[in-house]
Amino acid sequence: MNHLKFVSNKIILFVFFSGLISFLFFGCAKKFPEQKDISGNNYVLLNQDSAKVNFPSDFKGKILVITFIYTNCPDICPMTTHNMQMVQQKLAKEGITGVQFAAISFDPSRDTPKVLKEYAEVRDMDLKNFIFLTGNKKNVYSIIHEFNFIAIPGDTTFVDKKYPVYFYTHTDKLFLVDKQGRIRNEYRGSKVNSQKLISDIKSLED
Amino acid sequence: MALVFAFLALLNLHLQKVDVKNAWLRPANKGMNSALYFEVTNNSGKPETLLNVSSNIAELVQLHESYIQKGMMGMREVKDVVIKPHSTFSFKEGGYHVMLLFLKKNLKPNSTEVFFLHFKNSGTVKIKAVVKKG
Repeated sequence: MNHLKFVSNKIILFVFFSGLISFLFFGCAKKFPEQKDISGNNYVLLNQDSAKVNFPSDFKGKILVITFIYTNCPDICPMTTHNMQMVQQKLAKEGITGVQFAAISFDPSRDTPKVLKEYAEVRDMDLKNFIFLTGNKKNVYSIIHEFNFIAIPGDTTFVDKKYPVYFYTHTDKLFLVDKQGRIRNEYRGSKVNSQKLISDIKSLED
Repeated sequence: MALVFAFLALLNLHLQKVDVKNAWLRPANKGMNSALYFEVTNNSGKPETLLNVSSNIAELVQLHESYIQKGMMGMREVKDVVIKPHSTFSFKEGGYHVMLLFLKKNLKPNSTEVFFLHFKNSGTVKIKAVVKKG
């Protein structure tokens, strides 16, 4: 009888620990399934100081929070970059380093490095770990497609025969990329829950 | 006499058909675009219509609406905006806003700018908006 009880207890313990181990492994994996590995291809871009940047290889070893913008966007894109700026500041306060923030322009013909730099400066952005990128259209749109981001330019209309007005219809997303260059999560850029993003970043730190 | 002035001031306040509050706009550089946001309250018993907005700081000023369709964000010009009787309409981020195109100057945080809101019934209302980070 005692032997049976001993065996029964062992089975219960085995089931409990098996369940716990499965939860720890598969539960975490489910939280951050690898969406796509973008480390295979490399593209040359320019940052806001006109310096060459290899994307994404230059960011390997860093957690990357990345979005796509155009600087003539007055409403949605600034909301996204502002949300990223808030997260950047919160992480800095907590002493969390190793996180790189990036915004790539999908309007490269207008968003030159100079324009990007002015965009950052007027918003008092800390460019120590926040980078703005542009480049030739082919490279930029190759990256955009890697992220399944969509940006469609509308027709340019001329107001008063002299003001070219154009807007993009675009996806409202920002992405979390791990240190190995794998997209791990995506968020609505203009309305991201900063606490959730920070929590996810911390989970990838380990 | 003081009581008469106080009464007249109160009457004037009561008769003010539209109130505009919490006006702010985004920082941006000369030549670029920005957006103006505010809350407008229609105190009257009739619908009020914001016809347009004017300003000296931009070459073009348009009423705009951001919208989401099939997961994509877009923006379009709207002819005017109707504010229902005894209600408040918010021009807010991700929704209706006043689009400022081809800015004539840099808009730096904490500076203020003047705008004129032109209403169908209430005429022109002058407002001040502060440039806020965002």
